[in-house]
Amino acid sequence: MTAPLDNAVEAPLPVAPPVIRVRGVVKRFGGAAALKGVSVDFRPGEIHALMGMNGAGKSTLVQLLAGVHAPDAGTIEVGGAAHDHLTPRQARRLGIATVPQRRELVLGLTVAENVMLGALPGRGGFVDRRAMRATARDALRQLGIDLDVDRTVADLTVPEQTMVEVAREVNRGGDALILDEPTACLGAEDAEQIRALVRRLSAAGKAVIYISHHIDEVLGLADRLTVLRDGEVVAGAAAGEMDERSLVRAMVGREVVSVRPPRRAPRPEVGLALTGLRDGRFIEHLDVEVRRGEIVAVLGPAGDAQSRLFDLVSGRRRPGGGAFAVDGRAVPFGRVGRSLGAGLRCVTGDRRTLGLVPELSVDENVMLAHDRLHRRRLHFPAALARRAAPLREAYKVRALQRNPAVGRLSGGNQQKVLLAKWLGTDPAACFLEEPTNGVDVAAMAEIHALIDALADRGVAVLLASSSAEEVMRLAASVLAVRGGRAVAGFDVDAVTREELIAAVLGGALREPQPRPALQGDPT
Amino acid sequence: MTTTATAAGPAAPAGLKERLPGFLRIPHLGLVAVIAVVVVFAASRTDKFLTVTNLLNVSRQVAVVSIIAGGLTLLMTAGGMDFSMASITGVGTAVAAQLIEGGSPVWQAVLATLGLATLLGLVNGVAVTFTNVAPFVVTLATATLLDGVKLLVLGGFSISIGLSLSWLGNGAVLGVPTLVVVAAAVLIVIGIVMRHTVFGRDAFAIGGNEDVARLSGVKVARNKLVLYAVAGLLSGLAAIMLVSRLAASSPETGGLALQLEAVAAVVIGGTSLAGGRGTVVGTALGVVLLGIVGNVLNLLQISSYYHLVATGAVLLVAAVFNSLHKSGH
Repeated sequence: MTAPLDNAVEAPLPVAPPVIRVRGVVKRFGGAAALKGVSVDFRPGEIHALMGMNGAGKSTLVQLLAGVHAPDAGTIEVGGAAHDHLTPRQARRLGIATVPQRRELVLGLTVAENVMLGALPGRGGFVDRRAMRATARDALRQLGIDLDVDRTVADLTVPEQTMVEVAREVNRGGDALILDEPTACLGAEDAEQIRALVRRLSAAGKAVIYISHHIDEVLGLADRLTVLRDGEVVAGAAAGEMDERSLVRAMVGREVVSVRPPRRAPRPEVGLALTGLRDGRFIEHLDVEVRRGEIVAVLGPAGDAQSRLFDLVSGRRRPGGGAFAVDGRAVPFGRVGRSLGAGLRCVTGDRRTLGLVPELSVDENVMLAHDRLHRRRLHFPAALARRAAPLREAYKVRALQRNPAVGRLSGGNQQKVLLAKWLGTDPAACFLEEPTNGVDVAAMAEIHALIDALADRGVAVLLASSSAEEVMRLAASVLAVRGGRAVAGFDVDAVTREELIAAVLGGALREPQPRPALQGDPT
Repeated sequence: MTTTATAAGPAAPAGLKERLPGFLRIPHLGLVAVIAVVVVFAASRTDKFLTVTNLLNVSRQVAVVSIIAGGLTLLMTAGGMDFSMASITGVGTAVAAQLIEGGSPVWQAVLATLGLATLLGLVNGVAVTFTNVAPFVVTLATATLLDGVKLLVLGGFSISIGLSLSWLGNGAVLGVPTLVVVAAAVLIVIGIVMRHTVFGRDAFAIGGNEDVARLSGVKVARNKLVLYAVAGLLSGLAAIMLVSRLAASSPETGGLALQLEAVAAVVIGGTSLAGGRGTVVGTALGVVLLGIVGNVLNLLQISSYYHLVATGAVLLVAAVFNSLHKSGH
């Protein structure tokens, strides 16, 4: 896959008039201001990255553009006409399209049907399938997407699904596309496919508003950067004028360093051991041993063996075979209560479906596991708040209101609630899956420090991750997995990032093969 | 994904309520206002409405529905559904009436009815918990089945129990009908359970996200069995109350019409069909609203055909209003 627009990045087109001009918008929720007078222009043919930490106001700004919320002050000019607010329908008619983080596709329908959704060509109530397929094929071809329009969307990989969604928005007349973290949770190759698509979109003259937490990615992709902090624009520049350090400083307001602290030697006793683990075609064979006070990582491409471990060790599902012990005592698979009783705490990488109850308050979510483990019978909000307060403090959970429903927090704060919920329960061993998923740099550094502290307390920590950086930052030793098999083990001090990535990706970059662990993976 | 602030509800206020001045942020304000409007309308159209006799009469009718609706609120908050509650009540009245008519002591008949009802609820619970069949389907099936059983127990006829339970059905404590006292006590207990016990909060967690609840150490299967058994027990209590009020059990006692009224009251009160959100106060207001509307139609001598029309219309309006309120726009 080539990047045909490298030259376009070096020699930008003569500056086109902006398609969207945001002028002094203010948005308050309750008493708290999410945006405090933000002004920014989005131009056609430009990839414009919106950066900022969780809760900096990126999502709010995007929601104003999409018409989800109305600003309290300020205007949004689209194509020269000023609006003091937009409705979702207006936004769409004006060509502002949003591709959210979670795919909005009808999984049971074909690619063609999804691309044409809401605008199926037909006569007399019957769908003209020929015209539908032809139009969909054109729409995909214009964006350089090579996909069979008759495939069912459920069978596509995640990046392919993203492409279908982008094609639908462009086909509906989207001139400004808002892409919300389109590469989150993707492996390196998949992410590159998406970035290539984004470059083609900008070459086709679309204004792309790109949200991402990956600083390297943004620096390599965007033409222009706007950094938000606490609801204000703190930096706006052409991409070439900023480097990693200045970008991070703009986002955080100070320099954030997340470096591996010197760590005490782990204790001799084994805290967590998985032996001969097998699970269908997803895990062929896996042996891991974690001593108390040690952090061991299982690193693999997104969706590979390491992303199966949560279900198995938490007791949600029984594996095909193998044994499992916590603190030297065997724990039966498939029983949530036994895993918890053994002192194992499993933190999911999917906080939305397996981590938190969005309707319940922050306090209740923080204490959800703790109170059940301690067999409490009664529940009084004031007492609960008192017990939750130290954890909220220690895990730096920030909320605009005192105790909102957890679903109303930003992603980073939800992640901290999830960690507080589990790591505050005095674990003997801990399984962490992608612990900084969708979290900004500052929160990431805080979470890394919390995990360091966990190991210092003598907890055995098993980390499942698809990020080589995170593994190098946290773990002492790494097990690389690919295609359901352990391919290599490393001591972190004796390996480079490149070596790790090479071990995980293998030869796949040169000779693409179907990866069994990804095909037909429903997650 | 915002939620409304309600008496036993879990969430922070959102949307509409934020824009109201403080003194108007009363939970269920809309529902209270609608009830007030109906009362004012009724009082202006007929003198018979605001009389002690009439209000006591309405409260006695409402008492039975509120027991079923209260149990359903707890169950629906946990993401469950029991369509067979009023059918269990129907069978319960038939069994109680047969036993009393057959000469059993009243206390034995009452205990047998409550025990049987609990067992029936537990059967629903087992079917729902240990299979993947939707609760709606399981309990619709048992509802139909039990409606048939009721006819078999009664042999197709009405059975009178004379005055053996009239202390409950027509008695009063300090001027308040005993039925109303029982209903209020049950609703208060359910309210406290939902708000201040871990068992009640487990119901919110299970209804909000069952996977998370299980992973957090909530014994989901056991909780569900208990919830369905409690729904059965309350249906049995409703049966005793109903048979005491009517002094008889007949083929029309209990069953689908009563069930729909209870479901309607729960939904009007703002409890989510999807689980995770529910309040007993809302349910009580829903029961009262439906009771008053039915009573007013009676007093104004409007054909009983309109009773169902009115119940359906109130339910539809309330459901639409709740969904608008929930989305906060």
